Amino acid sequence: MSTTTSEQLETTILLVTPENFGVTHRVAGPFLRLAAYLIDFAIRVLFLYAVLQIVMSIFVAIGLEGYGVGLFLVLLFFIDWFYGGFFEGFFNGQTPGKRICRLRVVTIDGGPISPLQAFLRNILRFIDSMPVYIWVIALDKFIPLCLYQVGLWAAMSNPRFQRLGDLVCGTMVIFEERHWLRPAMPKPDPLTIEVASSIPPNFEVSKSLARVLAYYVERRHKFSPMRLYEMAEPLATQLRAELELPESVGADRLLCALYYRAFISDSQEQTQRESLVIQT
Amino acid sequence: MKVSELLNKKRDQWQELDRLCQVMAGAMGFSRRRVPPEIVLRFSQLHRSAIADLALAEAYQLPPDVTEYLRCLVARAHSQLYRRRSLSFRGLLDTVFRVLPQKFFTDRCLWLAFFIFWGTFFGSGLYAYYQPGFAEHVVGEQQLAGLQEMYSFPAGSRPMGDDDSGMMFGYYVFNNAGIGLRVFALGLAFGVGGMVILLINASHLGTMFGYMATTEQSGNFFHFVTAHGPFELTAIVLAAGAGMRLGFSIVYTSGFTRRDSLREASQTALPAIGVAVAMFGVAALIEAFVSPSVLPYWVKAAVAVLSTVLLFLYFFVLGWPRKEQGEVASD
Repeated sequence: MSTTTSEQLETTILLVTPENFGVTHRVAGPFLRLAAYLIDFAIRVLFLYAVLQIVMSIFVAIGLEGYGVGLFLVLLFFIDWFYGGFFEGFFNGQTPGKRICRLRVVTIDGGPISPLQAFLRNILRFIDSMPVYIWVIALDKFIPLCLYQVGLWAAMSNPRFQRLGDLVCGTMVIFEERHWLRPAMPKPDPLTIEVASSIPPNFEVSKSLARVLAYYVERRHKFSPMRLYEMAEPLATQLRAELELPESVGADRLLCALYYRAFISDSQEQTQRESLVIQT
Repeated sequence: MKVSELLNKKRDQWQELDRLCQVMAGAMGFSRRRVPPEIVLRFSQLHRSAIADLALAEAYQLPPDVTEYLRCLVARAHSQLYRRRSLSFRGLLDTVFRVLPQKFFTDRCLWLAFFIFWGTFFGSGLYAYYQPGFAEHVVGEQQLAGLQEMYSFPAGSRPMGDDDSGMMFGYYVFNNAGIGLRVFALGLAFGVGGMVILLINASHLGTMFGYMATTEQSGNFFHFVTAHGPFELTAIVLAAGAGMRLGFSIVYTSGFTRRDSLREASQTALPAIGVAVAMFGVAALIEAFVSPSVLPYWVKAAVAVLSTVLLFLYFFVLGWPRKEQGEVASD
């Protein structure tokens, strides 16, 4: 992927791939990642607690208590150091916490990370998590609290929010946007079609107007009539003058009609449908 | 053609691509399922046509929401199409037993770690042996007293059940391998971090050895530490060396940019740390099941000699610089 080039605007990175199209990624900042980290932390603690209960009850029952503790400690070691590496390496850059927060670790080319990168960036987490503040609750109970200052400062000093581990491995954490395709385009009602037919056939909807119309019509069901009026009226006033339509055509109706005209109907199709409407 | 017709025509294709993205994502990782070739073929076809649709979105006058959907779809398909090969067992064996020893042997950071560790170890050991009071300064009286008490029983005579070994095995893995990984990670601090922590560890260990040799518990002490020593101490040196290789690659870049130099170094550093963790595991096995047992000293010494020979074979025989037939020199 050596031909991949990239440029960045604020937190959005544009990567141009070998197929010559641009993929944009949003880099995830420290706070989103903190949320994912806390979820993962909770999962680890709960899992280890459950394992401790199960393993100890089994091993105490067969009378090999020591082996139970030993097994638990080995598990503790592996979960401590390899939890993130395992999930990120084998589940396409996502730990459960990252999956919930819709984050993903990718290489700075935007490709998926290799298991080696995943393990290394998680072992180097130790240096990112420094300084570790030891919080003494009772006299002999220590709770290490990772303050992540090294990682935070490293992330703040580069545009991709990479902590030291990320810098070494050439990885970054992105926020995965996902958009859903609307099942169908909004259906117009007969009145709207009627208004659309009264628009002069030689009127061409410009690109920028089409975009505004799409934004408006695809979201109009979320607003109250008064708010719709407020948003549509300024544009509608101008359009009415341009199309020589009477005042009585409502602003919302007019924009819907134009949307219908721009995206859905053909002029030929329009006449066919008109005849259909008249017949019924 | 109007936009709505176009959308109706393309919708099925896009949704099929969306579905195939999930199929490809599911086949990743551990699962042995392979994606059938015709599906991959179909996937790449759909991917290309989706890219074309995205490129023409402006010309088609697609609504912005649809463009956005397409953009994300194409990005996801892209990250499924371009993926790294995951670890293969044979490749791993080749790396561990052929490539790595060669790299270790020529790695000056590893040699540096080796000399720092053993130099400090023997230096402080000798000093602690001949200079009373030195050990108290370095390690602290309390710890020394604890150490003496720990080895006041001969090995195997303590009322220690078999299953305590199991517990201690877990503890040794958790604690010692954890130390190794920390030493490694600290190496990233320009190599100096790893060097400092290696010095501290070496001087503490050396002082304890030297001090214990002067006490009456020395027999018990050496009875315990002989067997697992080679693997454990080598693993520490290896971890520190790998960490220092990372750290120094930022300082001495041999012509690369700092970032590329670091990435290059990480290619060997990570397998090295894997080998170190495996060595810690072997050391923990020996430390838990052989060292505290009632076996006579010569058995434990034989274990130590055997491990030393194995380590020598790995680092020096497998690592000795040589040219292999059919290999490209620049490899």
